Amino acid sequence: MNAPASRRSIRGLTALLFAAIAGCVAGGGYDGGVDVGYGVDFYDVGGYDYGGWGPGYGVGPPRRGFDRGRPDGRERGAPHTAYRPASPSRSMPSLPSRSRGR
Amino acid sequence: MSSRYCGHDGFPTRASLGALWSLGVLWGIATMATAAAAATFVLPPLVQPASREHHEGKVIWADLVTPDVAGAKRFYGELLGWTFNDIHTGTSDYSVALLDGRPAGGLFQRAMRPGEQRQPAWLTFISVRDVAAAERHILAQGGKVLSPPRSYPDRGRQAVFADPQGAVFAVLQSSSGDPEDVLAAPGEWIWSSVITRDPDTDAAFYQNVFGYEVFEIPSTDGSTHVLLSTEDYARASLNALPGDGAKRHPHWLNFVRVNSAIDTAARVEALGGRVLVKPFRDRHGGLVAVVADPAGAPFGLLEWTDADSKEGAK
Repeated sequence: MNAPASRRSIRGLTALLFAAIAGCVAGGGYDGGVDVGYGVDFYDVGGYDYGGWGPGYGVGPPRRGFDRGRPDGRERGAPHTAYRPASPSRSMPSLPSRSRGR
Repeated sequence: MSSRYCGHDGFPTRASLGALWSLGVLWGIATMATAAAAATFVLPPLVQPASREHHEGKVIWADLVTPDVAGAKRFYGELLGWTFNDIHTGTSDYSVALLDGRPAGGLFQRAMRPGEQRQPAWLTFISVRDVAAAERHILAQGGKVLSPPRSYPDRGRQAVFADPQGAVFAVLQSSSGDPEDVLAAPGEWIWSSVITRDPDTDAAFYQNVFGYEVFEIPSTDGSTHVLLSTEDYARASLNALPGDGAKRHPHWLNFVRVNSAIDTAARVEALGGRVLVKPFRDRHGGLVAVVADPAGAPFGLLEWTDADSKEGAK
């Protein structure tokens, strides 16, 4: 092995090792990488205020067979909504009724 | 010709070989340390044994981010009968909550920085088949990335986002499949609601991202309530913020099934939590309430009988 070739190979090996060490220290990463920490370490903004909740403020799921009619007389599925409403022929869905293991 | 690396004969000197050996040792140590850290932070599979079920749009997991995991374990353990499996890493403390041996949620320790105006919260995870595709749709619909997609051994791939109105949620592509569609047992999560300023436009966002059927729910209080559904099951609701909504922050709120909202709310207070909304009768006939754990993370209580989800139940 002549001297310049040997020098180049040693420099190359050294650079490779430094790169490998730097990569290990950086660790994990996002896309494609398996993470070593947990990526949900933030708090919400907060300021939740539930004043105004009470009777009449429905928040839970409806029972199966719940009437989809509107008390204010507005036509069901009116086109003013930003979303695409379910077909009027569809009945109101509810939670699963089957218990675990049955 | 000599150099710092080579002797007169052109071969490496003892010093240069020594330096290389040292670098090699460092590389080995770093590799082992990284491997060890990765190996210890393994979240359990969502479903055991793994299934082939996938229910896109279903809420399949919840993580609590709290400054006091030990306190949260005491509170939720005594309130709901949860037990816990701890997972420690060099930087993260995580505990998996179990109910009758089944994973019910996760508790993640994160210190609250002095002066931080933030609030511990339960983070809602929605099932997706492809996190990258979900991310594209969320961004296209005006959502934001809070934590980019990451993979966790056995758990799958997940990411955290905010909807256009600021409500935070996560998506999870479970590598073990999704939990089956069965009625939640008392002590398990049974329902989720997005409390938001504008349910109409928010419903369009979630519909375009997750493919929900959207049903408007009649209300007697004049506010807008809509229901999100897939596979003919109700998955979540969107509710207008009551009162002066402009001052309130949109968020997801998860509900635990309880046999008695009144008794459970009283127990919450006895364990150091707070009742934010006293139990009141909801549209399905049972009681609901909103409470907060001792660190301030809110969650709901929902009474639901086995008969409530059967056709024709009254």
